[in-house]
Formats: sequence, C-alpha cells, structure tokens
Amino acid sequence: MPSPLIDRISVDLGAQEPWPKDVKLFQPYEIEQILLPDNANCLAVQAFLKMCNLDFQVEPRPNAEFMSPTGRVPFIKVGRFVTAELEGIVQFVNGKGISLTDKLDNELKSDLRAYMTLVRNVIEIAELYICWVDKETYNEVTNVRNGSVYPWPLNHIKNREKRNQVIKKLKVLNWYNKTIEEVYQEVENCCEALNVRLDNKHYFFGDKPTELDALVFGHLFTIITTPLPRTDLVEIVRRYPTLIDLVKRIEIEYFKKDVKVT
Amino acid sequence: MGIVHAKVPDEAGSNISKFAKQTGLSEHSSKPDIREIDLETVQVRVDKINVDGLGRTKNDIVEDCIRDLFTARDFQDVLLKAHKARVKLDELGCFKNIGVYIDTSKGSNATKDGLEVTFDVKEFKRITGGVSTHIGNNEGALMVGMRAPNIFGRGERVQQRPVFTASILQAHSEWPNSGYKLLERGLLLDLGFHSNSLFKHNLQWEGIIRDLSTLTRTSSFDVREQSGPSLKSSVKHILSMDLRDDLIFPNSGSLVQLTSELAGIGGNVGFLKNELFLQENYSLFEDIVLQTSLMVGYLSSVSKDKRITIADRCYLGGPLSVRGFETRGVGPHSDGDALGANAYWAAGVHLFTPLPFRPGKGGFGELFRTHFFANAGNVGNLNLAKLNNTDLLEAFRTNVRISYGLGVALRLGNMARLEVNYCFPIRYDKGDQTHPGVQFGIGIQFL
Repeated sequence: MPSPLIDRISVDLGAQEPWPKDVKLFQPYEIEQILLPDNANCLAVQAFLKMCNLDFQVEPRPNAEFMSPTGRVPFIKVGRFVTAELEGIVQFVNGKGISLTDKLDNELKSDLRAYMTLVRNVIEIAELYICWVDKETYNEVTNVRNGSVYPWPLNHIKNREKRNQVIKKLKVLNWYNKTIEEVYQEVENCCEALNVRLDNKHYFFGDKPTELDALVFGHLFTIITTPLPRTDLVEIVRRYPTLIDLVKRIEIEYFKKDVKVT
Repeated sequence: MGIVHAKVPDEAGSNISKFAKQTGLSEHSSKPDIREIDLETVQVRVDKINVDGLGRTKNDIVEDCIRDLFTARDFQDVLLKAHKARVKLDELGCFKNIGVYIDTSKGSNATKDGLEVTFDVKEFKRITGGVSTHIGNNEGALMVGMRAPNIFGRGERVQQRPVFTASILQAHSEWPNSGYKLLERGLLLDLGFHSNSLFKHNLQWEGIIRDLSTLTRTSSFDVREQSGPSLKSSVKHILSMDLRDDLIFPNSGSLVQLTSELAGIGGNVGFLKNELFLQENYSLFEDIVLQTSLMVGYLSSVSKDKRITIADRCYLGGPLSVRGFETRGVGPHSDGDALGANAYWAAGVHLFTPLPFRPGKGGFGELFRTHFFANAGNVGNLNLAKLNNTDLLEAFRTNVRISYGLGVALRLGNMARLEVNYCFPIRYDKGDQTHPGVQFGIGIQFL
C-alpha cells in the first residue's frame, strides 16, 4: 500500500511535467446543484487558471465533492494527479513554474496571503452561514439544491449530515451564535478592508491580477449573481463600486461575457 | 430407561437412628432397602396436563405438541412422551426455558393411577436483539441484529417454517485491490423458508446507504469517479440445495446455490445480478474425495438512469476463487486497481486426501486435509443480448486463466476453512495480478 510519502513524491513528480492539454476541472452541476460558497470557490479557481492562461475544461459531476481528495470542490485533474481547492491548485501551478505573484516582494506576498485568509475566513464563512443556518435560505434554496442529486430518502439524510458538518465548523469558528446582522457587519468590514487595499488600482497588487483577485472575483461575482431569498448580502457588496468594477473587469477580460451586474 | 432405583421411606432408617441414639454410635453403615421397579409394569393414566407461563403463544400449537402424552399407558411411556413433547415445544422456538414436572393427580376428578404433567415454560421476549460478530469470506463484520420470534403467537421462527429476520447493519470494508473503501448502513429483511425438504429459499430486501471513497490519494481515477453516496434498494432471492454430508470437508453430496439480485426498486443503484454456484463431491476411496465446483455470474443493467457502482461488479481471483492470483487479481485493472466486470465463470477440481502418513488419525488429524487443485476461470465485460451462442462460447474460451497447486486445508469449527497453498498460475493475462507461491485463504465458501 502506498505510504503518504510516496503520495507526496508522486505528486511532486507530476508537478514537473508541462501543463497537459486534457486538464479537467470538476465541480457540481451549476444550474441545479451548486451552492453559493462552492460556486464562489469554483469560479475563483476558473478565474485563476484563466489568469495564468492555462487550458482546462469544466466537467460537472454530481459527486464532485466526494471525488475531491480534500472533500471540497473544485478539484483539477492533471494527467494522473488530482489537486483540490484554490490554495492547492495555486501551489501546484507554481510548481510548474507558472506564478502570478513572482514579481511581488516578500512583504507584498505576505499581505496577499493575509487578504486571502481574510476573504476565506469572513466572506466564505458568511456564505456558509447564510446557506445552512439562515432558516429561510436553507429551506428554500440549500435544502432543495443540495439534495437534488440524491434519491429519496437519501436527500434528507445527506442534507442533515452536511448541515451538521457546517454547523460544527461554524461553532468552532464562533460564528454559529452570531445573529444575521453581526454576520452582515463582518462582511461589510471585510469589503471595507478590500476596498482600502484596492485603492482605485487596476488590481489589488498593481496592473497584473493575482490569486487574490481571482478569489475576490469568485466570491463577489457569485454573491451578486445568485438569486437568494435574502438580498442583504448583495446590497452590502453594491456599496463598494470599486470592488464591483474589479469584478466586471475580470469578467470581461477573462470570461469575455457581458456582465449583468447593474 | 426402564428401571428406577428408589429408596423405600420405611422404618429401617428411623430404627437405625434410634439405635444410634441409644448406643451413642453415629454409624449409618447399614444399606437402605433397594427395590427395583420395572416402569413398564406401572400402569398409569395421564389425567391432566398443565402448561404454565403461556403469554401470547396460541393454545393450538402447544396442544399439537403435547396431545400425544394423553395416550401414554405406563410410566415409562409417560416419561418418553413427556420428553418428546418437551423437544417439540423447544423446536417451536417460542420458549427460552421448558421444565417438566410429573406428579400424582390430585383433586376431585383424579383417577386412581392418575398423573398430572406440568410444563413450566418461559416465553421469549417479543423482540430479542443481539450484537454478533460474523465472519464472511476473508472479512469480519460486527452485526447488531434484532428479531421478533413468535410474533403472531404461532412460533414464527421455526426451521422448516418461514424464518423472518430483520437486521440493521453498519459495515465498513476496505478493498485495497480495488482502491476503495465502503461504508454501508442500512436495513436487511430476510425471509427464509423451505419449499420442500431439499430447497431452501431466502428472500431478502436490502435498503442500504453506501458511502464509497478512495482508499489512497493515488487510487485510480476510474475508482475516484465512483466516490460518493448511493442508495441501493434491492430484492434478492437465494435458492440453495445442500446435500453434502459435511459443510467443510464433505465426502459426498452436492451443493447448488442460485442467487438473483434485482436492485433499483427505489434508490439510484440498479442492476440485475445472477450467480450460480455448484459443487459436487465424489468419494473415490475411503478417505479420498474428488470435488468439482463451478461458479458463474452475470450482471446486467436494468435502467439507464440507475448506476452500477464498482462495489456491485463481479471480481475473480484470490484464495477463495481462482487461486494463484491476487484477490480480485483477474480481469480489468486501472493503475493497479481492479475495476471488475459484468460476467465471470470459474471452475475448480480438488483432490482431498488425509494428511500423509495420517498423524492423529481419528482425532486431531481429522481437522486437516491435503489437497491438490486446479482452477480455471475468466472475467470480462460481455453483453449477452448482443452475442449469439458461438460468440458466447468463444468469449468463455478466450483468455482463460489457469492455475494449479497443492496445500493443506484446516477445518475451523464447523463453519470456516483455512487453506495454505502453494500455487502455480500457468495461464494469465498481461493486466492480471498473479500470486505464485504460498497463499493463505480463510473463508466459508471456496471454489
């Protein structure tokens, strides 16, 4: 049986090969299944790969979450190797000598890491809170979408299982006991911090996009475009036109579609 | 039975004790008077039978068991028939404890030689449960089971009559040769009955949630694709006819087992799987047995929108099927992980003999057998609907895997067998994982 060390070595070996043509990005079904936080993460990875100018195909699978080596979407398959989530994928791509941050000095790099952690720890957690803890959103959206790929009665069992997992996570992070207003306040603070960092520049760190831009794009674009029973989150984001402009810019530049953000 | 030695409670004893008191000696050396009574000559009549402790058990089935006792004419007969009645009551499977008391009949309606027989029974609880470990082919499982014996009061748990079992199960299994692990949780209902004394049927329904995940990060992507939860709801029919004289080392007789499983009544897993297992034993000399066995299986899909997962497919190879190969070592592989196929066949010929020079004959040595064997088989994907007969024969013939060898088999209790073999795989395919040399196997059903 292969040991974790051998796993590690084989992943490293795989990293040295050039970027192959048949790279696939696995994610849940966008129309009927995917949830807000997952969608944000999938979009962030897509944006990052496009920023790096790397080819990939999106492959929707109902069981993408379970296929992923970390249990979270999205993940990419490069040759025989699978790597999940934005951080892992950024590292994997860096291993192939492709990086969006190689021109930054160490201080800026640690800044970038700090902001990425901020987005992950605030916006993503707030999305989880709204999807799984807020009763209205859970009943009208999350419950239906998450269970859509399972037959009865597995859908109810899996929804409950997932909800318990998320609640456990939120409890550890001390978010479960927050009221929805406190959650909005956190998101607002985070947006404010990002707004200050962006400071009317083209991207967060100058003229070239970084993985932070990809991550912020993924989350904000998903928040703006996903119809939910509660629209407060959208309204908070809309108060920061510079962030909206950033999202539009990335959308036009890398996804080449008209933005319907207005 | 027939003669009872009984002490006569006469004056002899008390005389002695009086005498002992008078003389100051405390010696009880004198023998009590012994009389022999031939029980057949004691004429009695059973006046009354009481059954104490009946709750929900219906009278009619108890009456059937004990009625015969009224026909007894002498005391020996009473004892024999009471014993028989007790065995019958025990066979009903309704009672935990059965005590029999025989007394002389008292009361106004008592006849002169009248006897009164009392059966003191204790019923099972309505629902009994238990935790049991259960050892299957190369795997162990912990089972928490519940059953409801005698639920309608007529002993509905009896062999030869329908047996109903319901079990709640959670089983975790790891399949390193296929690169996945499986967690199954669900409900299994089983109705076992005999259609005549030869054919045993088991009709089962399984509702199982299965969580399949990859065993390591390097598991093949074909296995990774299968990960995730699935719900299997299936009806299974097992027909078996076991005419063998022993489960582990039979000397003669045959076993036929036909299993059909239809999944897809609810849930998202759907298939039809038919499997046949045949075993035939011929005793050549007194202790030398020739055993031939054959197994065949075919898996077909029943609906486009129901899945067949890697856990449902057919595998071949390993110490219990085609020896000389790794477990699941025959057939399609992807990056070293066995993917299984939808059809297989395998056959085996064994020559079982006692240990050379017969050490421990009649005792310890009977636990062992030496055997020489040859196995053959093939597993692959084929579509029966699209094949005609000659194609089918061709598909069976091409790429046949063959191995042979010899070894020692050990009887473990009366339920399992342990084999240590030295195997020589002689025909195998490029993708197969062979296991030449020493191979261990422990299991219940061997090819």
